[in-house]
Amino acid sequence: MKNFFRLLAAAVVSLACVNLAQAHPHVWVKMSTQLIYAPDGSVTGVRHAWEFDDMYSTFALEGLQSAKKGVFTREELAPLAQVNVESLKESDFFTYAKANGKDLAFGDAKDYSLDYKSEVLTLQFTLPLKTPVKAKDLSVEVYDPSYFVDFSFPDKDAVALVGAPTQCKVALEKPKDASLGQSSKPMSESYFANLNMGANFASKIAVTCP
Amino acid sequence: MPVRMSRQGAAFYFIALAAAAGSILLLHGALDLVLAQGNPFGVGPRAAPPPPAEGVMGWIFAKQAEFYRMLSGSIRAVKTDPAAVAGLFGVSFLYGVFHAAGPGHGKAVISSYLVANNETWRRGLVLSFASALLQALVAIALVGVAALIFSATARMMGDAVRIIEIVSYALIIAIGARLLWVKGRAFVNELRGGEDHHAHHHHHHDASCNHGLEPAQLAGPGGWRRGLSAIVAVGLRPCSGAILVLIFALAQGIFWAGIGATFLMGLGTAVTVAVIATVAVGARGFAGRIVRGRSGWGMLALRGIEVAAAALIVAFGALLLAGYMVSERMFV
Repeated sequence: MKNFFRLLAAAVVSLACVNLAQAHPHVWVKMSTQLIYAPDGSVTGVRHAWEFDDMYSTFALEGLQSAKKGVFTREELAPLAQVNVESLKESDFFTYAKANGKDLAFGDAKDYSLDYKSEVLTLQFTLPLKTPVKAKDLSVEVYDPSYFVDFSFPDKDAVALVGAPTQCKVALEKPKDASLGQSSKPMSESYFANLNMGANFASKIAVTCP
Repeated sequence: MPVRMSRQGAAFYFIALAAAAGSILLLHGALDLVLAQGNPFGVGPRAAPPPPAEGVMGWIFAKQAEFYRMLSGSIRAVKTDPAAVAGLFGVSFLYGVFHAAGPGHGKAVISSYLVANNETWRRGLVLSFASALLQALVAIALVGVAALIFSATARMMGDAVRIIEIVSYALIIAIGARLLWVKGRAFVNELRGGEDHHAHHHHHHDASCNHGLEPAQLAGPGGWRRGLSAIVAVGLRPCSGAILVLIFALAQGIFWAGIGATFLMGLGTAVTVAVIATVAVGARGFAGRIVRGRSGWGMLALRGIEVAAAALIVAFGALLLAGYMVSERMFV
């Protein structure tokens, strides 16, 4: 009976490992983010500009009609932008914010638009906080837990504070790229504890105000 | 063969089996929860589960991302210089090799199928290559018909893919359920026989049983037909990457390059899946040799592995299908 369980366990584990190796992004997003502040110093929301990769952009535009071939105006792209933000709602816009350690809730996206330039699409939208908040420590992370979408910040002008009190400081914590292919323990406990792996690739915006 | 067991006894063992299958399901459920999320932007291929960030898996993952990112550039290069097609095909093949670690390539389903059905490594190779070829053909046909003939939008193509997926996942469940039934019965028979004859030597432990073979059941003419059902179930769902590459090549006016790249991706995928399938078949054979000549529990263990593998197939199919149900909301 011992043998039986041992073999069964071996079979299950080996199959589980095979299955674990399933992952890949098919959409790449270069993002820049603005944190919007009210005159009283509270954060009211986040404005995103997400630039998609060329292959996904081409795919998304497939079959769409435009007055001029290869050129899409903002108006022509408006229906697609609406589909995008409506669908993104199901994924909480991949935007996770905390103020003083507490999760913040966002309302529906507004002021959304799509632009097509240099053969890539850029989606812009504003995510208002349900309740504006004054925060000493504010963090915003953007990532896809399933890692279907790869979000990354450009090296320059990734984050801006709009209307924030002058003493507020913003910092960008980049993901540790070095972890790719470096660690020797793929099956360690932390590996399993970290199944929410999209977060490992996230860049975290951290704002501190006095 | 062992005597038939009583109804109550059979019921008991099936409950035990179901519990075992359930725990496997749970394990996989935990790992695969994210297996099937829809594309968050409302148009586009389906989502994949999260990547391992480190170790060998992390390296594989990083490589396939790297090759994928090279694809669009390679296609652009072919547009200006057709000789660059060699580079595109090379990148496509390598992408396929690394990408086959991803979902939709039936690696886990094929491996489980081979283990459950006690197939040979040769048939594992055939299954791997045939399903990868079918996957490439489906992607090309889909984009060819949808984009070229109907000038369908990305959304419509996504809808088509989802219908194909439902059929594919339902087929996987059907194949797994059939195997679970056959193997579950064999397991219960073995269990019953083991109890009956434990004190004595097993009269049915002749050569054929010790090899875990049931020639009449597995190697008969029906075997290939069943193999075909596995090929269709696994190969039906086109790879998201292939669809994106085909659309991109089409937009650049070089659809032929996209078709070539898709076949090369399929070839690369098949190589990886075949290697994994061969390992699975080898492990099954190794287990078979270990238990050869041992008393009842050994055979029981083999039967148990087969049942577990069959349960895994059902679990994969069910999770994939359930994922579809969840993601449906995302497409309005």
